[in-house]
Amino acid sequence: MVLIVTIVAVLAAVLLANGTKETSMQLLQWKGTGTTKNLQEVILGRCYNYITTVNPELRDKDCQKIWETMQKAFIYKNPCNITTEDYQLLLDLASHPIPCNKSLFWSKTNDLVHRYTKTNHSFLTLEDTLLGYMADGVSWCGNPSSPGINYESCPKWSECESNPTSVYWKMASKMFAEAACGVVQVMLNGSIEAGAFRSNSIFGSVEIFNLDPDKVSAVQIWLMQNIGGPASESCTGHSITRLKSILEERNLRVSCEDNYRPVQLLQCASDPDHADCRLCTNSVQ
Amino acid sequence: MTQAFKLHRALLQDRSLSLSPTEIGLIKRITSPILSLCLFFTLLFQQIVQSVEKVGLLFSKDYVKPTEIDGKKKWKGEGTTPNLESIVIGRCYEYIRIVNPSIGEKNCTEIWEAFKKAFINKDPCNILPSDYELFINLALHTIPPNKSLFWENNHLLVTSYSDRTRRYMPLCDTLIGSFGDFLNWCGQANDTGFNYDSCPNTEECENNAVESFWKIASITYAKQSSGVIYVMLNGSAIGGAYPVKGFFADYEVPNFQKDRISRIEIWVMDDIGGPDLDSCGRGSVQILEERLKTMGYDITCIDNYKSVLLLKCLDYLNHSDCSIVSSAPSTQRGLVSPHRGGSWSRLIYTIFVAFVFEICFNPLN
Repeated sequence: MVLIVTIVAVLAAVLLANGTKETSMQLLQWKGTGTTKNLQEVILGRCYNYITTVNPELRDKDCQKIWETMQKAFIYKNPCNITTEDYQLLLDLASHPIPCNKSLFWSKTNDLVHRYTKTNHSFLTLEDTLLGYMADGVSWCGNPSSPGINYESCPKWSECESNPTSVYWKMASKMFAEAACGVVQVMLNGSIEAGAFRSNSIFGSVEIFNLDPDKVSAVQIWLMQNIGGPASESCTGHSITRLKSILEERNLRVSCEDNYRPVQLLQCASDPDHADCRLCTNSVQ
Repeated sequence: MTQAFKLHRALLQDRSLSLSPTEIGLIKRITSPILSLCLFFTLLFQQIVQSVEKVGLLFSKDYVKPTEIDGKKKWKGEGTTPNLESIVIGRCYEYIRIVNPSIGEKNCTEIWEAFKKAFINKDPCNILPSDYELFINLALHTIPPNKSLFWENNHLLVTSYSDRTRRYMPLCDTLIGSFGDFLNWCGQANDTGFNYDSCPNTEECENNAVESFWKIASITYAKQSSGVIYVMLNGSAIGGAYPVKGFFADYEVPNFQKDRISRIEIWVMDDIGGPDLDSCGRGSVQILEERLKTMGYDITCIDNYKSVLLLKCLDYLNHSDCSIVSSAPSTQRGLVSPHRGGSWSRLIYTIFVAFVFEICFNPLN
């Protein structure tokens, strides 16, 4: 009898041990894209590339330390439990001043706004600063058990808001808005049905509330519609009026321009023969 | 000590000091060793400082073999880009993971090692394009038809217009090109490190690491191009829109694969408001057109191709015909050559010498 009990006990212990082992090896499953492979090499390379060729004034930044701080923020952690404090050290290491009158915010105009800043170096989006440059187009999240990083999947915003990438962008956007001075610009999309300005976008929920009225003199809105339309919204539109009132309440001067011409020309580069793309130049073919 | 020197000097010059020969001899025997000792210790200290400097550097992460001779740089060109390895490997992974994942899996570390092998530990004036062969074979990938964009004298415009492979895929938007774009590098004979101080430029020697790289990269790029070929030239460039001696003329055109090319389209872009020195059917462009026609290609040529012109006009809207002299930013930001001179050791050495000088050779007393 004692023998049977002992055997049962041993078997139970073994099974339980195996069971816990399985749980500790478990990779959490999520609905979003997993961590970008070779994340370390990409982030490090981008950091060095940025401080060497894009903005050599930052040549004394320690990229190795920046990467390590970034990794520490999410590795081995449950990716639904990330806070801005986790990234505070990274923020301190990687932030840098932004010249006045150059900040360019955006919402739902990702491709267009970045094509613009790659061509016209008078403006900087968040993705043209070190923090944004390193993380643009990349995804990452941790996992409580080894190896600490989840390359299979990462939580979408709909699954949990406090995931590593969402928190990162929220924190970086806040910093970018706080650092803005002089005249700031924002490029919005006048061809989407849901409205050019949305309160639940990062611009609408984080950036406009972190602009410092003592530093920012005015906000210029560029409302861009797709070449050939649809012209869902213009400067007199409903969501723009709402945005204007929010900004004015915060003591910021606001102006708005429909289809800001330089940016429109950029759109025209992809559709040069359209009627909206006529140029008054004598050297055009 | 000071007195000893004076005495010694006087004795050597045989000034009369009213001393007997034995006394003189004795004094000589005493003072001369003191002076020799001073000199000896000075030299010893110098050697110690130099060795410590070398040892310290050896253990430092940034050890660089001294490449300066008497404070002058060995070569006239800029040195290797700092953190080259991290930048290049990062770009490689970024390319295969984010920019163009369709090319499949590549081993970036292996490619980097092959790249380095081409020029490390060799005479930096004797690097041939064929030295990069292994690197090229590892980094090669197909270029979609109708996406090749060749150019001369408008690097930044091409980069903006190509939009990182989304519109076109010029050489700088291929994996091979991303290894070298806006970067600089060279090695040294009998040394496994990079030369961060200076690198030979083309005038000093043509067979340098960077020049040979672009030669073989251009040859390879041309061989892989197919469908409609696009060429963007600068109609305001001094010396002609089509440089008859240049990478395009010497390494790309001769390597076009005739059976895979349907036609060639040339765009001659003038600087906004700039001089119209060359255009289709004129000057050097005509030379290019003739050359390609003779080779049997179907050629079209467009002056100020509208799509690209719109991009150029972005910066110069105020002028009615977008005319302002182009203010394109410099193509290579100033690189930092970290100062590797042992300034601290020199300082200590100087202080010591001054000290010794004071003791041994005080001129004021």
